[in-house]
Amino acid sequence: MMRGTLTILSLVSVVFFPWPLTALLAAGASSVEPLVPLAVGLFADTLYYAPQAGALPLFTLCGILLTAISFFVRSRLKTGSIGR
Amino acid sequence: MKKTFLAKRNALLSSTNISWGAYALIVAILTLLLRLIAPNFFWTLFTPVFRASDSLSQASHAFFNSFGDTAKLALQNEKLTNENSALALQNQALLQKANSLSGLARESRGITAGVVARPPASPYDTLVLAGGSADGVTLGMEAFGDGGVPLGVITAVLADFSRVTLFSSSGMTLSGWVGRTNLPVTITGAGAGAMRASVARSAGITSGDIVFAPGPGQLPIGSVARVDSDPSSPSVTLRIMPALNLFSVAWVTLRDTGSALRGALSSTTPTLP
Repeated sequence: MMRGTLTILSLVSVVFFPWPLTALLAAGASSVEPLVPLAVGLFADTLYYAPQAGALPLFTLCGILLTAISFFVRSRLKTGSIGR
Repeated sequence: MKKTFLAKRNALLSSTNISWGAYALIVAILTLLLRLIAPNFFWTLFTPVFRASDSLSQASHAFFNSFGDTAKLALQNEKLTNENSALALQNQALLQKANSLSGLARESRGITAGVVARPPASPYDTLVLAGGSADGVTLGMEAFGDGGVPLGVITAVLADFSRVTLFSSSGMTLSGWVGRTNLPVTITGAGAGAMRASVARSAGITSGDIVFAPGPGQLPIGSVARVDSDPSSPSVTLRIMPALNLFSVAWVTLRDTGSALRGALSSTTPTLP
């Protein structure tokens, strides 16, 4: 239930809340759902990215980075002794 | 041999394995595809969402900005509290002062009453006032207009209303003075707002001379508008116009001027109650 709530709230916050709060929510959700930062970043760039600006899709890139970090940390936790 | 069929599970598509993150990713990808494939539909779909977002962000921005500088807010709060206390004290002082002054004014300046009816709504040379015995109005009180101009005398009092018979009423007689030398005259009401008086021709009264009536001291009641003279008579008749336009009097002040005025009034109109 908490996973679903965090995920939906992260997506909704892309539209309605300031980006620092969205980033915080995505980072928090990444601890339980690693794909959420990627989804949020992609969703944010879908809404706000302007191709003619010539800039990089930073939200997506940050989401990818955070998702990668989350997966890495989770893999380390699984192989480590903490999760056993 | 009996075959056992096991349900194949796809690691990507099985509903039990797909996480909330995967669902969110699918939604994001679908949205991206929608923007890439049908941009017009995408913007049409999301325009209301953006408007709602703008409204919410503006409201929240204003709300959070109000907490921006807590030190400044605390200082302002302290300042406003001090001002509030000072104003409350000042309000109390002013209230006390107003109560004192209103009591003093009631004693020294009389009763203020609004004019309900004036000529031609009321009988000529009378005023109906919205103040009666309940407000302290008594028979014989004198009515004064703006600037302390004497207008008439209270001749009828009800609980909430009273009637003023003006000095210009026919039959009203009043002792007064006229001219720079304060020549004593007997002023008589001539009706329709006018008064008249007779003085000796040798007194030299001319148009424009001020006519005074007794009150607290001498109060201007009107001015000489015309001097009518008959060559066969040693006296002249002064036509006196009131100092105030009686048709536009809205408020009057009622005061008990005491026995001096009552003694000066020799008679009142026979139509009065």
